[in-house]
Amino acid sequence: MIWNPWDRRTPRRGFLDFASRGLGATALWQLLAREEGVRASDASGNEAPPQPRIRRAVQICLVGGLSHLDSFDYRPRLESHHGKSLQSDEQPDIFFGQVGLLRKSDWTFAQHGESGLWVSDLFPNIAGVADELTVIRSMVSDSANHTPALFVANSGFQFNSFPSMGSWLSYGLGNESDALPTFVVLPDGRGRPNGGASNWSNGFLPAQHQGVMFQDGSRPVRDLFPADAKAASADDDVRAFVSRMNRRRLDQAGGDQALSARIESYELAARMQSSIPAVSDLSQETAETQALYGIGDEATDDCGRKCLLARRLLERGVRFVQLYSGGPIGGTPRTSWDAHEDVRENHTAEAGRIDQPVAALVRDLKQRGLLDDTLVLFTTEFGRTPFTQSASDTVGTGRDHNRYGFSVWMAGGGLRPGLAFGSTDEIGWKAVEHPVPWHDFHATVLHLFGIDHTQLTYYHNGIQRRLTNVHGEVVRGVLA
Amino acid sequence: MHASRRPRLTIALLAALWLSGGRAAATEGEAGSESAGFEPIARLLAARCLGCHAGADAKAGLDLTHRDGALRGGEGGPALAPGDAEASPLWERVRDGDMPPDKPLDEADQRLLRAWIDGGAAWGAEAIDPFRFTTETRAGYDWWSLQPLAPASPPAVQNESWVRNDIDRFVLERLEAAGLAPSEAASPRALLRRVTIDLTGLPPTAEEMAAFEADPGDAAYEAIVDRLLSSPQYGERWGRHWLDIARYGESNGFERNGPRDHFWQYRDWVIEALNADLPYPEFVRQQIAGDLLTGGTEGAAAVGFLVAGVHNTVVGSSERMRRLARQDELEEVAGTLGQAFLGMTVHCARCHDHKFDPIRTEEYYRFIAALDGIQHGDRDELPVRDAAELAGVAEALAVVEASTRELMGTAGRRLAIDAAAGPAAPEPRLRWSFDRWFADDSGRIAGEVHGGARIEYGALVLDGARAWAASAPLNFSVGEKTLEAWVQLDSLEQRGGGVISLQFTDGSVFDAIVFGEREPRRWMAGSDGFARTQPLGGAEETEAMDRPVHVAIVYRQDGTIAAYRDGAPYGQPYQTGFATFGAGQAQLVFGMRHSPPGGDRMLMGRIHHAQFYDRALDDAAVRASFERGFSLDRAKLLAALNDVERAAFASLEERRGELQSRRDRLLARRERLYSVTPADPEAMRVHVRGGVTDFGPEVSAGGLSAVTGAAADFGLPAGAGDRERRLALARWITEDARPLLNRVIVNRLWQHHFGAGLVETPSDLGFNGGSPSHPELLDFLARELEGHGGRLKALHRQLTLSSTYRQSSRLRRDAFEVDAGNRLLWRASPRRLDAETLRDAMLQSSGALNLEAGGPGFRDVELLSLNGTTYYLPIEADRPEFHRRSIYRFVPRDGASALLETFDCPDPSVTAPQRTATTTPLQALSLLNNSFVLAMSGRVARRAEAGTESREAAVGRVWELIVGRLPEDVERTESAALVERHGLAALARGLFNASEFLVIE
Repeated sequence: MIWNPWDRRTPRRGFLDFASRGLGATALWQLLAREEGVRASDASGNEAPPQPRIRRAVQICLVGGLSHLDSFDYRPRLESHHGKSLQSDEQPDIFFGQVGLLRKSDWTFAQHGESGLWVSDLFPNIAGVADELTVIRSMVSDSANHTPALFVANSGFQFNSFPSMGSWLSYGLGNESDALPTFVVLPDGRGRPNGGASNWSNGFLPAQHQGVMFQDGSRPVRDLFPADAKAASADDDVRAFVSRMNRRRLDQAGGDQALSARIESYELAARMQSSIPAVSDLSQETAETQALYGIGDEATDDCGRKCLLARRLLERGVRFVQLYSGGPIGGTPRTSWDAHEDVRENHTAEAGRIDQPVAALVRDLKQRGLLDDTLVLFTTEFGRTPFTQSASDTVGTGRDHNRYGFSVWMAGGGLRPGLAFGSTDEIGWKAVEHPVPWHDFHATVLHLFGIDHTQLTYYHNGIQRRLTNVHGEVVRGVLA
Repeated sequence: MHASRRPRLTIALLAALWLSGGRAAATEGEAGSESAGFEPIARLLAARCLGCHAGADAKAGLDLTHRDGALRGGEGGPALAPGDAEASPLWERVRDGDMPPDKPLDEADQRLLRAWIDGGAAWGAEAIDPFRFTTETRAGYDWWSLQPLAPASPPAVQNESWVRNDIDRFVLERLEAAGLAPSEAASPRALLRRVTIDLTGLPPTAEEMAAFEADPGDAAYEAIVDRLLSSPQYGERWGRHWLDIARYGESNGFERNGPRDHFWQYRDWVIEALNADLPYPEFVRQQIAGDLLTGGTEGAAAVGFLVAGVHNTVVGSSERMRRLARQDELEEVAGTLGQAFLGMTVHCARCHDHKFDPIRTEEYYRFIAALDGIQHGDRDELPVRDAAELAGVAEALAVVEASTRELMGTAGRRLAIDAAAGPAAPEPRLRWSFDRWFADDSGRIAGEVHGGARIEYGALVLDGARAWAASAPLNFSVGEKTLEAWVQLDSLEQRGGGVISLQFTDGSVFDAIVFGEREPRRWMAGSDGFARTQPLGGAEETEAMDRPVHVAIVYRQDGTIAAYRDGAPYGQPYQTGFATFGAGQAQLVFGMRHSPPGGDRMLMGRIHHAQFYDRALDDAAVRASFERGFSLDRAKLLAALNDVERAAFASLEERRGELQSRRDRLLARRERLYSVTPADPEAMRVHVRGGVTDFGPEVSAGGLSAVTGAAADFGLPAGAGDRERRLALARWITEDARPLLNRVIVNRLWQHHFGAGLVETPSDLGFNGGSPSHPELLDFLARELEGHGGRLKALHRQLTLSSTYRQSSRLRRDAFEVDAGNRLLWRASPRRLDAETLRDAMLQSSGALNLEAGGPGFRDVELLSLNGTTYYLPIEADRPEFHRRSIYRFVPRDGASALLETFDCPDPSVTAPQRTATTTPLQALSLLNNSFVLAMSGRVARRAEAGTESREAAVGRVWELIVGRLPEDVERTESAALVERHGLAALARGLFNASEFLVIE
C-alpha cells in the first residue's frame, strides 16, 4: 500500500482515510492502540490501552469566561468576606490588573438531586440534571487572555495552528458516518469566537480532520450546493460526466489509488448533499421535543436549535460536536460571558440563552439511552476573580479573568455522576485540591474514548506531536 | 518500507563509516587521544548508559563519562574495580539484567564489557561526550546529515542508453539492484504539463501542447526548460514554496490579529531574488541580515523572513507573561530558521537537551541569543540607490550648514553687546540638541535609544509605536524643576504621547509634557495615575505639525504647575501635589510618557531641542528661553553682516534650498515596510526548563557545534550588539554550515519536482526525520549546487532534463509490488495540484488571469475591527485584481479562502515545508459548487463560444482551454450530450473536476 495506516510518522499523501468506514465500532485507532499496546507492554510493561466508554461527544464551550463562583463552585466564605480586601501582596496575572474588594455571589446556591451537588440558581434547569453531572471545580489554565486561553482549551497549546481535540479524535477514531463530517462545529448565532476557525483547526493533521462549520439556512455547509439554480439543475449530469471521465483515466493510469479515492469522494459528496439537509431539518422533531429545547422562545431559540441539531448529528454517527455559547469578545452589549462590567447583568442574559437547551440535551440523550456512550462537556476558557475589577477600596460589579481556578463539568459514560471533584481555596480564587490543567482534562476525555493520550501522535516539524504536549494525567478521580 | 526505525540504523552505520574519513576538528582530537581498544566501549557506554549516567545531574550520582567518575561511583559507592569484573558493581548490575533498565545488554556486549573490566578498564584521556555516537534512540555527532559531503562519483549502470545525466546513474543503479526497470518516457503532453507546472505553477496552453507534440525532441525540450526558467512566473511558483517555509502571513495572529499592510515587500523580494537567481547562500544571508548588509528597502524586505511569523501584541499585564511571550517568540524564530535553512529542529532544545539530536539546551540559548535583537515593527526605508544619494545630499548639507554657522558665528560675535543687553536666557542644567548623539550636549549624561528612535537633521525622530530615548539615571536629586522642549508632531490626532518626562526608572512615578491624553489636541502635565494632572484650559494645538512649537512646564515646591507655549502662559496654573526624585532614582525619557514603552504612551513626531532645569523658571525666564530659541533670530544676525558676507549667505541659502528639496524628494520615496526593527539585546542566559523564573549561565551568541564543531563559537562577548550577533549567525549558516545548508535546499528542490524529497521530511534531517533514499545522490546534488555557484536554476535544469524526471507516471504492477511508495523512483509520482495552482489554472483557462506582478496583494476579505481585534470576512468579487495569481493574495491568519483551505493550503502560522494532499468529499463539493469555480466555468464557456463558429468547435475549445487537448470520440459524444442539456459552462465545470485537470501526471 502507498499509505500505511500503522505508519504515523509521515503525513498521508494522496489518500482519503476511508479505512475507518465499515469498521464500525472497532475504530481505526483502537486497532492501532492494540498493536502499539502489545508492543509497549512487551518493552516496558505499559498498561494496555483503556477500554472505550464512550463513542461520541458534544462540547458546549462558554466563550469569555463563566464565573465559577456564581454557578458551580459554592464558596460560603466569599459571602462572609464580602467587601473585604484580598490581603495578598501578589500581583495576580489577570487582564486589567485592577484588584478590587471581594464580592459574594449574586446568585443563591442550593444542593440538588440525590447527589446533593451544589449549583446556583443561575442555572435552574441544569441544576435539575445535577445527578448526571461530574463537576471539576479545580481547573487551571496557562493563560488569562481570551484567545490563547481558548486555544489551550481546544488544542493544548496557546498558539495558532495546533490541532483541536475534535481533530485529534477524528484522526484517532475516524468516522462512524459516511455521509456526515466527523467533527462538526456550531458557532453562536451572534458570531464566531475570537480566533475563529483556528479553534477547530486540524493544524498539521490532514484536512479531513478539520471541524466543519454548520450554519443556518439552506446550505448548512459551505459549497454544499451551487449558489445558482442553473448550475444546481446540472448537478447530476455533471457528476456523471466527471465519474465517467475519471473512471476511464483510472484504467489508463493503471489503477491509481489516489484516483480511486477521488472517485469515491464524489460519491460521498453526493450522499452528504442529502444527509446534511436531512439532519439539519429540525421540523422532523416533535413539537414536544422542540419545546423541551426552548426552540421558538426568543432567548433560547439559537442555542436550543444547536443543541437539538447536536443530538441529531451524534445519533447519525458524528464523532464530535462543538457548540459555542458566546460570539466575539468585545462590543457593547457584550456577546459572550466576559463579565468585566457587571456579572449579574451579563451572566443572567447569557445563562438565559443556554440553561434550558443544555439541560434538555442532557435529558434527551438520557431518555434515548445515548448518554451511556456519549460524553457531554460543558467548558469555559477560565473562571472569574472573587474580587471585583474595580479600585482597591471598592466592591465593583464586574469580575476579571481567573486562570487559577474555575469549574467545568462532564456528563455521560464512564464517569462518576453527581460528583464535585477538586476544590478551590475558601474564596474560590485558586485551585488547591487536585488542580486540573487542560492537558489532564484532554487526557481524561481521550481515556474515556479508549485512547491513551501518550500514544495518539503525529509527526510534525521534528516532533511526535500530541494533544497533551509532554504533559497530561488522566483524572482518575472522576472516572467510574 | 520507509520510515520505520530499522533502516535508520543502517544509515547510522554508514555515517560511522564516513566518520572514519575525517570529521570536524571537535572530535578528532578526542578520537586521537583514546586508545583504540576503548572505542567500542565508549560507543557502548554512550549508547546504553550515558542517557542517564552523565554530567552533573547523573542518575544515582554516577557519572560514567570519565574514568574518575566511574571509580568514584555514585550513591552505591565505586562502580568499577579495574581488573576484576566480578568485583565491579557496574558489571554485577549488567550481568543481573538490572541495567540498563529497559533492555539488557546482549551477550556480545556483555562479553565486551566484562573483558574490558577484567583487562584493566583502560580509559581514553577525555570524557566521553554522550552526544558523540548515534544510538538506537538518538543521533550523535556522527549522524549522517552532520558529516561533510561525501565525494560520491556517479555509479556505473547496465542500461547506459537510459542515462541522460548523472542523476540518472544514481537512480538507475538502485533500480537495477532491486531488479526494476525505469518506466517508459512520459508522453510529450504529460511531460510538458508536468514541467510547465513544476517551474511556473501554470499549465501550458493548448498551443504549446500542440507545438511540443509536433517536435518532442531533446533540443526542443531543453529550450522549453530554459524558457520556463527565465519566465517571471518561475519566481512566483518557487516563491510560493519558499513562503510556505517562511510561514509568510500578513497579520499578527494571536488575539488581536491586526493586519500587516506593508509586508508584501518580503513576498516580492523572494520572488525577485528567485527570478534573478540569487545564489542560494546569498538568498539566505540576506534573509538573516539583509538590513545590515544591503540596507534600504531591499535589505529591510529580505529580513522579513525573521518576522514573518505570528506576533503576540497582547501579552498581559505581568512581567512573567511578557518574558514568556518573548521567549515564545524567539523559539518561533529560531525554530523556523533552524528548520528552513539547516533542517535542524533546534527549538526542541529549549526546555531540555534535544531528545533526539545532539543539541544542548545551552546551545539553544546561544542560538536565540544571536536572534535576540529582532523586534517586529514598521520601518521607513529608501531603495539602496536612493539612500546612497540621500547620504550624499546630507553630506553636502552638512558642509553648507557649517559655512552658514561660521557666518552666523561672525554675526553673533558682532552682536555680542546687543545680545547681552536683552533678557538673559536661563541656563539649563541639561540640554539636548540632538545634533549627533543621544547624550546631553555636555556629554556627561549618557543617552540610550530604543525601538528604532534615531537622529535626523538635528532632531530626535519618534514613531509613536516603539521609539524612545532615555538619559542615564540622574546623579542629583530633583525637587523644583522645569521641563522644556521644541517639538513638532506628526499628527494632531495622537493621544497620550510624552515629549519629555522625568520618571523613576521603573516608570512608576513621573512628571511629563504630554500631548492629547485627556483632551484631544491639548498639552497637559502628565503624571502617574493623573496624580498631579489637571486640565490646564489651554487652546487646542493647531500648528505643531507645521513647525516646532515650544512647550515648557514649571513645577514648584508648593505644588503649583504652570505650562507655557511659545514662551507665553498656556492656560491657567493650578496647585496640586509635588513629587521629588532622589539622586540615582530618576531619568529623563523622550518620546514616551513613562515606562514601559508601548501603548498610547509613545509620541509620534520630532523633538528638535530639549532642556531640563533643576529649578522653577518664572514667566520672564521661560519667555527669554523661548526667544533665544535653539538658534538665534536670523534677521538680527543678517543685519550684522557686510554685503560680501550677505551675498555669500544668500548663495549658501540657495544651495541649501536646492539640497533640501532634493532631500525632500528622496524622503518622499521612502516606503514603509513591516520588518525587523533591531534593538541591542541584553546578555542571554539559559532559561532553566524553558521557564522565565530560573536562570542558568550567561551565554553569548553562537551556532550548533554538532553542525560545525568549533566554528559554532562566534567568539563574541555576551554583551555584543544585534549587528555583530546577526552578521555572525548569517556567516555561520551560509559558510560554516554550507554542506548542511546545501543538502537541505537540494532536497527541497527534489521534493517539488518528484513529489517527495530524497529525505521525506524536508525540514528535519535529524534523528526524527526520514532517512535519505539515495544518500549519495543527495550529496552529489549538494556538490553540484556548489559547482553552480549556488544558483538554483542550473540545478532545476539538471533535475528536469534527467530521464528520471521524464518518466511516465503510469502505475506498473511489478514495480508497485516491490516499491509501492516509489522511493526508488521507478515512475513519476502523480501529484494533485496544490490549492494555489488549482485556482491559477482555472483563471488561466478562463482567460481572466491577470499576470500583474508585485505590490500590495488583492484582498478577498473584508477587514472588520472590533474592540482592537481584527476579523477577516470573505468577500467575493469578479474584478481584475481578484484574478491575479494566488501568491498575490493578501494572506491574513485565520482569513483563509474557502477554496484554498479545502485544498490543503495551510494557515500561515507555522512553517509548512510540505503540503498534505488530501482527498475529501468537501473538496468534491467545493470544486463542484464553489462560486469561484462556477464563475470560471462561465468565463470558459463565453471564451470558447466567442472564439469559435460552431457548437461543436466550442466544445473542443472548452477541452483545449482546460485540459489542453481536443476530446476523443467518446468524450466528444458525452460532452455534446452534457452541453445539449446544460450549456457549455456545465462542461467546463465538469472538466475542472476531472482528474486529468486536477492531477500532474
